[in-house]
Amino acid sequence: MVEWDLTRMRLVLPGLVLVQVFTSIGLVLGVSLLYEYIAPRQALYLGTGAVAISMVMVGVVTGPQMIAEQRLSGSADWLASLPVPRSASAAAATVFNVIVALPGAVAALLAAWIRFDVGLSISPQLVPAVLLVLVCGSLIGYAYAHLLGDAKIVALVAQVLVFIVVGFSPMAYPPENLPGWLATAHTFLPFVHMANVTREGLTQGLAENVALSYLVLAAWTIVAAAGATWALGRRP
Amino acid sequence: MNRPSTDISASSPPSFEVTDLYKSFDGETMVNDGISLRVEPGEVYGLLGPNGAGKTTLVKQIIGLLKPDSGSITLGGYDLVADPSHARQLCSLLPQAAMPIESFKSREAVDLAGQIRGGDRRGVRTRRRELFAALDLDEWSDTLGTNLSGGVRRLVGFVMTIVRPGPLVILDEPTNDVDPLRRRLLWEQIRRLGDTGAAVILVTHNVLEAEKSVDRLAIVDAGRIVAAGTPSSLKAGDRGHLRLQLMMTPGRPVPELPDFVESETLVGHTLATVVSERRTTDGIQWAQSLIDGGVAEEYALGATSLEDVYVRLTGHESVSV
Repeated sequence: MVEWDLTRMRLVLPGLVLVQVFTSIGLVLGVSLLYEYIAPRQALYLGTGAVAISMVMVGVVTGPQMIAEQRLSGSADWLASLPVPRSASAAAATVFNVIVALPGAVAALLAAWIRFDVGLSISPQLVPAVLLVLVCGSLIGYAYAHLLGDAKIVALVAQVLVFIVVGFSPMAYPPENLPGWLATAHTFLPFVHMANVTREGLTQGLAENVALSYLVLAAWTIVAAAGATWALGRRP
Repeated sequence: MNRPSTDISASSPPSFEVTDLYKSFDGETMVNDGISLRVEPGEVYGLLGPNGAGKTTLVKQIIGLLKPDSGSITLGGYDLVADPSHARQLCSLLPQAAMPIESFKSREAVDLAGQIRGGDRRGVRTRRRELFAALDLDEWSDTLGTNLSGGVRRLVGFVMTIVRPGPLVILDEPTNDVDPLRRRLLWEQIRRLGDTGAAVILVTHNVLEAEKSVDRLAIVDAGRIVAAGTPSSLKAGDRGHLRLQLMMTPGRPVPELPDFVESETLVGHTLATVVSERRTTDGIQWAQSLIDGGVAEEYALGATSLEDVYVRLTGHESVSV
């Protein structure tokens, strides 16, 4: 099934990766244009946050848009009629997202390093952090795309999520910058925790409460997997 | 329950049966209104009906994408309503929509589909070569789906479906967009598919073609089976009769029908009537008088076909070849 999904997307894959790379670099450079001076700590936040944002966007925006497209083209029924476990389809989507997201994440990191000369401290924790962020993000996207069903609504939610993730999630800036109630809300949402575990793998002393972040992300992963399983198993 | 075998040669093929199937979407309009049918192994069973008759809804329930309000769907000992994963193992579907193979070379799409259905790589490849040769598709073997014409893409989708068929194969409008020459090759393969022991459900509104290829058929209209049987048995009532078809002049009212017209159906500007062979002369004279009076533009007299039965029962014209 993974081979099917990768072959299915191979014509669009280079384009998607390229867009992802440019978006990630653009995020780092674009935000830095807003300020005359960016302090090293801010730069580190921005650079590491952009890495996480880049990965999250693939899972919660690009992935669901692909599923919506399948529904619109009518091919979703055929895919659903294949004799493969539903988990194989979710795994294939996740592998695809990982392949699309990683080059963009690396590009964001390089852009931050070159632009701000930030002092990175890459640790082995980066590997589980990146995997968890990608799997969690992919499953959230996969789940809501199948739960909502209607392709137009999925596309709309994906657009709203771009807005929320880029502008109103404390991923590339500290939560203190947000109004209190919104910062509190984000302690329950996955986005800030995705940035936190990524940051822990890339820096020293910048990430806080990492254990809590892993816990929240694990919970979101389980809830998203359960939601996707339920949505795929339901028959109207 | 054991995992069902997807290989029709693995054991004696099972019968497929739908019993008293009811399905509504809003609780009021019945999309399937008490459908019952049985398809034996090796049988090609036509499901004919106009758009909106409920054919696709029935197919979606068979493959486990929709749940019936009530009724049963079984294949051998397997209850496909209770366990839709068995339906996915046992049923091979060619959907009406195009297969998502834009990025695949034709041969890759078939080989992967066969392997996903549980076939071994070598066996699938051998069978794909046979089917491509039989359907005259060899020249497109290495062509990407995005560069295929609609008809060739449809045929590749057909090969993807039957390269490793389950005990039940469902073909939803398999001849759409296919050129007349390859259509004949396609029908031949559908026939042979039945000969391998698969039960084949053929969903179509192309009555003329289906008449030559199906063993039995059901005509579905407004969610119900309005007639079922062999093509010959359905046409039995029309023996000794001819079809007199008139192209009416647009804007002119349909004239009163003479008493020798035994049945009539108006679809668009085409008035299809059935008359007894003994009254053929009267029929021709009547048609000629309508043309002389400007009410009709032309007429055609011919043998009755399954299409006449179809038109009479559903009030719809079928798709012509």
